[in-house]
Amino acid sequence: MGDYILLVISCILVNNILLAQYLGNCPFLGTSKKMETAVGMAMAVVFVLVMAGVITWIADTFFLKRFGLEYLRTISFILVIAALVQFVEMFLKKSIPALYAGLGIFLPLITTNCAVMGVCLINIKEEYTFMQVIVSSFGYAVGFGLALILFAGVRERILLARVPKPLQDTSIALVTAGILSLTFYAFKGMV
Amino acid sequence: MTEAVLFMLLLGGVCGLVLSFASKIFYVYEDPRIAEVEGLLAGANCGGCGYAGCSAAAVAVVEGQAPPSVCVISGSETAALVAAVVGVDAGSAEPMRSYNTCQGGDRAVTKYHYMGINSCRALAALYGGMRECSVGCLGLGDCVRACAFDALKIGPDGYPVVDEAKCVGCGACEKVCPKNIMEIKTMSDKLLHLNQYDDRIAPCQQTCPAEIDIPKYISQIRNNDYEGAVKTIRERNPLLLSCGRVCPHPCEDLCRRGIEDEAVSINQLKRFVADYEMNSGKRIPISCALPTGKKVAVVGGGPAGLSCAYFLRRLGHEVTIFDAMPKLGGMIRYGIPEYRLPKEVLAWEIEGILNLGVKSRANVKLGRDFDMGSLVSAGYDAIFLGIGAWKDYSLKVEGEDLDGCFTGIDFLTRFAKNQQGDGGDSIKIGQKCAVIGGGNTAIDCVRTLVRLGAKEVTIVYRRTRNEMPANMVEIEAAEHEGVKFVFLAAPVRVIADDKGKAKQLEYLKMELGEPDASGRRRPVPIEGSETLLDVDMLVTAIGQGPDVSFKEDGKRMDDLGITRWNTIDSADPVALQTSIPYVFTAGDAATGASLVVEAIGGGRRAARSIHMFLSGKATTPPPKTLFKNHIPGSVFDAVDGIKQTPRVKMPELPVDERIKTFDEADLVISEDDALEESMRCLSCCLSCYNKDVADLPL
Amino acid sequence: MAKSITQEFVKGLWDEIPPFRLVLGLCPVLAVTTTVENGLGMGLATTFVLVCSNMLVSLLRDIIPSKVRIACFIVIIATFVTVVELLMQAFTYPLFLKLGIFIPLIVVNCIVLGRSEAFAFKNPVMPSLADGLGIGIGFTLSLAALGAVREILGSGTFFNISLFGPSFQPFSLMVEAPGAFICLGLMLCIMNLVGNK
Repeated sequence: MGDYILLVISCILVNNILLAQYLGNCPFLGTSKKMETAVGMAMAVVFVLVMAGVITWIADTFFLKRFGLEYLRTISFILVIAALVQFVEMFLKKSIPALYAGLGIFLPLITTNCAVMGVCLINIKEEYTFMQVIVSSFGYAVGFGLALILFAGVRERILLARVPKPLQDTSIALVTAGILSLTFYAFKGMV
Repeated sequence: MTEAVLFMLLLGGVCGLVLSFASKIFYVYEDPRIAEVEGLLAGANCGGCGYAGCSAAAVAVVEGQAPPSVCVISGSETAALVAAVVGVDAGSAEPMRSYNTCQGGDRAVTKYHYMGINSCRALAALYGGMRECSVGCLGLGDCVRACAFDALKIGPDGYPVVDEAKCVGCGACEKVCPKNIMEIKTMSDKLLHLNQYDDRIAPCQQTCPAEIDIPKYISQIRNNDYEGAVKTIRERNPLLLSCGRVCPHPCEDLCRRGIEDEAVSINQLKRFVADYEMNSGKRIPISCALPTGKKVAVVGGGPAGLSCAYFLRRLGHEVTIFDAMPKLGGMIRYGIPEYRLPKEVLAWEIEGILNLGVKSRANVKLGRDFDMGSLVSAGYDAIFLGIGAWKDYSLKVEGEDLDGCFTGIDFLTRFAKNQQGDGGDSIKIGQKCAVIGGGNTAIDCVRTLVRLGAKEVTIVYRRTRNEMPANMVEIEAAEHEGVKFVFLAAPVRVIADDKGKAKQLEYLKMELGEPDASGRRRPVPIEGSETLLDVDMLVTAIGQGPDVSFKEDGKRMDDLGITRWNTIDSADPVALQTSIPYVFTAGDAATGASLVVEAIGGGRRAARSIHMFLSGKATTPPPKTLFKNHIPGSVFDAVDGIKQTPRVKMPELPVDERIKTFDEADLVISEDDALEESMRCLSCCLSCYNKDVADLPL
Repeated sequence: MAKSITQEFVKGLWDEIPPFRLVLGLCPVLAVTTTVENGLGMGLATTFVLVCSNMLVSLLRDIIPSKVRIACFIVIIATFVTVVELLMQAFTYPLFLKLGIFIPLIVVNCIVLGRSEAFAFKNPVMPSLADGLGIGIGFTLSLAALGAVREILGSGTFFNISLFGPSFQPFSLMVEAPGAFICLGLMLCIMNLVGNK
């Protein structure tokens, strides 16, 4: 049990996927302009990441490894993730429209989110067990959400600040992300 | 190798199959434009645009929340294609166009000096901006930066100017503007707009019952854009030739120049451009929305009916006007005499409306030839009742139905019908005529009688000249034409001669007492002051109301509510929907006898409600609708920076010439005068205006 | 507005140089630019994928139905990413280890997908090749430049050659995550200044 708690903390804070692992930066900059979008995106990532982590782990363990086809990992993972996301999107749209309105619209963005693909690859690389995969995927996703929501809060403020012209927009956002990253840096060595 | 190929084929096949089945099972309808836009976007789902993937961006674009240039990957080519998809409203295929609603810009008073970043949104967060005007443009150009099509720039006066040729109506500017200065509207949206408490409109436009954008058309006149001015007026008023002649222009009462100087001659300018169009020999094209397939019956072809039919037609509905008289026009044809509004002019104006595809049927009367039941069974989806106020009030004195006694509307109508060759008996005109009443109908009667050769024409009115409800210009014109006035006189009875013909009018002298509910001092009779006036013709014109006798002999009319003033009841004076949901009303039928321009405005409001009703939306006006009221703070007590400049004189026929004929008495101002007059306009907005500069061209 | 092939190539080096002008594909930019070498390696791998996928997409652009084009692009890109992965594993194993999961992640790099969609799908083979090469080299240069700055400041070396001698105290923050963000942000700012965008 203790191991799992440690794993969660490590995933959320120490190895924060956005600010320490450099994954998923496109949506990090793209969807953090508004708090509303950021929250929706964070929820959707938690939802998909856990599912993707599980399904890619199953694909890897039971198919790729069994037939010695590890070199097809990249291509099969991206296919599986894309198909999964598309399927979930269609399912939510029809069956649970309320949930779809909240986080379903963020699903397509996740297909090409390197955070999802990245976490799946990390899971395999670290040779996690099934339970560990679930916990780490969840942890990374929560870390993603945490960083995204914090960042969106800061960016909403920046919009009203006086920023020198060349630094405006993405530039200042990156510097801000750097400072935010610095705070997460303090967790280093905790686990 | 083989297993790799097999594995990939299997994986691809499974994914493809699952997804294609899922798309069938989980199919949900969405706006086809969303899919179309999504097909055009890059599809990389990179999130660079700030939306959650390409389909979310497509939804946002279609809903007007994101500009067509939303995609950071694809270039301007894609943006143009996307704009082509969303720029067209699926329902009506009317192009959306952006326009700004603030005309203040730099001239609005500055509250504080702003040194922050160059963004309207940031500026708006600081006490709502640096200007005193809380609703006006901030001028930092967020909209200009948002426009992907280079269609916007900040003009010389500090507010954005739209280049209509480049605008695709994407809505990017509307979305970014923190003050809602930029609006994206289709023609229909513009026609349906009602003045709102948070609109940026001058006092004159707030006052005009038809809500015409007066400062805009005057500035168009100033720039020699007469066609543009006509189009601006036609967005609110289809009867500009008639209004330009007969409107008592309540707008001029609140003209800001009028506070320090003479008011701008707004109505003369309207008449000038209206006559300009008519005299140019060609009609300025009027565009209509695509057909909606709905049919509306307009009962009554007067100003309210014509206005309602015109707006409904422009909104894409099929309209038929039913009128009891031989020709369309209602009270402005049969009640307003030729010398004020020549029938030729009116015919040209009505022809323009019918040219839009409005059908009309004359000589059919509601209650006699058809009723609401027959209209419903003929497939009309909504009915407009603009039956006017044609029933004269009677004096209720002894002898008022003697030979030689007439009532006002009846007299004017019979004479007008006869004059136009629409049949009816000619009226034998007396030598000593008296007209009872102080309204415009009474003045029309006396001026008509003067032209018909009556030797002595007298107006008998129970209050004084100051209380007369008729327009002051009309009263003055009547005085110039030699009409006598007997004030403070209340008719008691009409005395007949031995042949049963009216011989004398007996009246009581009055004096003014306490002010009554209308603010006018109530006349009180003086005991024993009976006086006799010799007459051989008497016209009673003391007011008129709607004739609702149709209600007794028609079907489906029991539910139609009638007020105690005999007008058709509509719960909301803006929505104008009657107690029968598919029946609407406006004009004199709804308000009692009132102004032409009131009826025109009412016709448009009813058209709006009918359009809403036919589109399945609520007819209730928006909560901030401004109606017979003014936006607080927009009406001033004093206006500084005004240089006294007299208004142009309206040319008119000399008195001795005009009393002999029914030729138009008031003439149109010249182009030079019109330009000069247009310079006098201060181009007011809600709180700011152009002060006169020293070198004002005169 | 037919541009010459040279123009298509050159625009990737300045006018549309990623990730500065096209702010996409930031993850590898931030993650692997701790040294010039890594930056160059990553850049070249991406260039390879970009050129190959651009060419193939352009060749197949008449065959691919536009409804499933995105899926096709992903498969094509994934194929070339696998090729690069295997090649690097075989010939530059140390670099492959350093770049780690960022090599397979080229598959989700928006720049590659974006070029397929925005350019290769609409243009013939030669311009697509030039476009891919231009953007790819531009990307490589950016990565190398960022790598150089971070390596010099963060480790005091350039291509693993010590520059300042043993007394230099490295500004080690620069090779860590916060440094990556700040450094990229400031470089973007300089680009904005220079390009007066």
